[in-house]
This record gives sequence, C-alpha cells and structure tokens, in this order.
Amino acid sequence: MSAHDRDIAGIRCKEVLAHLSEYVDGDIDPRTKKKIDGHLAGCDWCEKFGGEFSKVIGEFRRNLSRAAPIDQSLAERLRAKINQAGRN
Amino acid sequence: MSGENRLTPGDEQLLARSAAGDNHAFHTFVLRHQEAVYRLIRSIVSNETDTEDGLQETFLAAYQGAGRFHGRRSSGDRSGRAWILTIARNKASRQFRRRAGEPRDMESIEELGKKAGWGAELPAGFDRRIENREILELGLKRLSAEEREVLILRELEGFSGVETAEVLDLSLPAMKSRLHRARLELAAALRELNI
Repeated sequence: MSAHDRDIAGIRCKEVLAHLSEYVDGDIDPRTKKKIDGHLAGCDWCEKFGGEFSKVIGEFRRNLSRAAPIDQSLAERLRAKINQAGRN
Repeated sequence: MSGENRLTPGDEQLLARSAAGDNHAFHTFVLRHQEAVYRLIRSIVSNETDTEDGLQETFLAAYQGAGRFHGRRSSGDRSGRAWILTIARNKASRQFRRRAGEPRDMESIEELGKKAGWGAELPAGFDRRIENREILELGLKRLSAEEREVLILRELEGFSGVETAEVLDLSLPAMKSRLHRARLELAAALRELNI
C-alpha cells in the first residue's frame, strides 16, 4: 500500500500522523482530538497505524520501565569515590 | 507536598543533610537515583568506561553542590530527581556526546511515519517482537543519543513533559517534537529488527 493523505472528519492523514503522540498522551486540544477521533473512525489506514504506534509505546514503557540494577562493583566504586571526596 | 516524612526523607531533606556533612544522607540519595542516572548516561555515551566516569562525576558534582540545591519546583522528590538527571545529562553531553555520534539528519514526519509502518502491513510476528525486552533494548540502541534520552526521561522515568523539557534544556514544543520523532524512530527500528 502506498502513502495517502485523505481528508476525513476535517483532518488529513498527514496531520493525524503529526499529532499522534499528543493524541496518545491525551495532551491535545479538544477540537483537534474530536477531529482525530472522527478521522480514525473513518480511516482504517490511520486507525491501524495509530493502534500499532500506541502499542509500541505501551510495550516499551511496560518492559523497560524498571531499570536493571547497576553492577555491584560499580556501585561500590562510586561509594568509595564519594567517601574519598568527603574526606578531602 | 515535599515528599518527605519521618521514615522516608525526601530528596530536599537528604541534600540539606548532605550539605551539613551527613554522608549517610548522601549515600541514601545516591542509592535512590543511581540506576536512573546510570541509564540516562549510558543512553548518551558509547561505552561502559565513559558511563562509569559520568556516573562518578555526576554524583561528585551533586555532593559538592548539595548546599546549592533548593526544592524550587512543585514536588520535592521529583525535583531532586530532575536536578540530578540534569547534572548527569550535562556531564555526559559535555564530555562524551561527540564520541557518541552526531545527531542524524532531520527527515520529514511523513518519511519517518513511512519507516515506522504508516500505510504498510505489519511484519509477521511484530506484536510478539515488541513484547520482548531484549528486542526493545536493541531497538533503543539504534536511535540517536537525543532520541534515546527523551524516551528514557519521558517513557521510562515517567517525567512530565515540562520536566523532560527542563532536563533537556528545550522548549516544551521542541521536546514534544523530539519525543514524537523518537517514538516513530523506535517503531521503525523495531520493524527493521528481523529477529
């Protein structure tokens, strides 16, 4: 399928793409949100991509949010540096 | 809310005690934030040695500057975290960013969207792929340092848009633009990873 840019519900596909992060974050003005809601309801193409985009962000957060513990020897070297600075 | 109580002192309290010579308080502050600092620096620099140098320099600077910390922002804990991550980012950027590679040329959002799958079929197994931690980490590694750091702060450390912009020293619209591009680049990288 090649790229297209249809005007559905008063907003074009390219504009939906440009606003997608704000839409996913719920950080968007209500008028634009309403237009995007209408667009997604009528455009399979954008609806499918929007869902996939949202899922990538969700899985990224879910799987990587917990930082791996840092290596114990690294933590000890850091502690030693700070102790040394405290003595100077 | 300062985020402080008698059992779990907030960052502001820990830093005030540190400035008064309480090393134990500073070590508590370090333990609270060392993983986030490590992750942010590692996202900017290219190797473990530089990451360790950046980690040590960050906390030494915080130790020496603890007396200058003022919890000016709305939440004590959050502002302590933003403060230490701002120091970390500045240290890593100033000393190591050049080695970590230059930012890539700017593509249009439409071009990025196409790379990310806008208007294309999903590759086989894509849903399974993005549930895999190792694959997500590989995807993240393919991004530029600027893209990685905005994703780490916003998605993984849970910073608000305003805090993220502050740590990155960007306007809020510029941060949002970088975040959107980084998310599209991540989606594109995950599509390309044919594992």
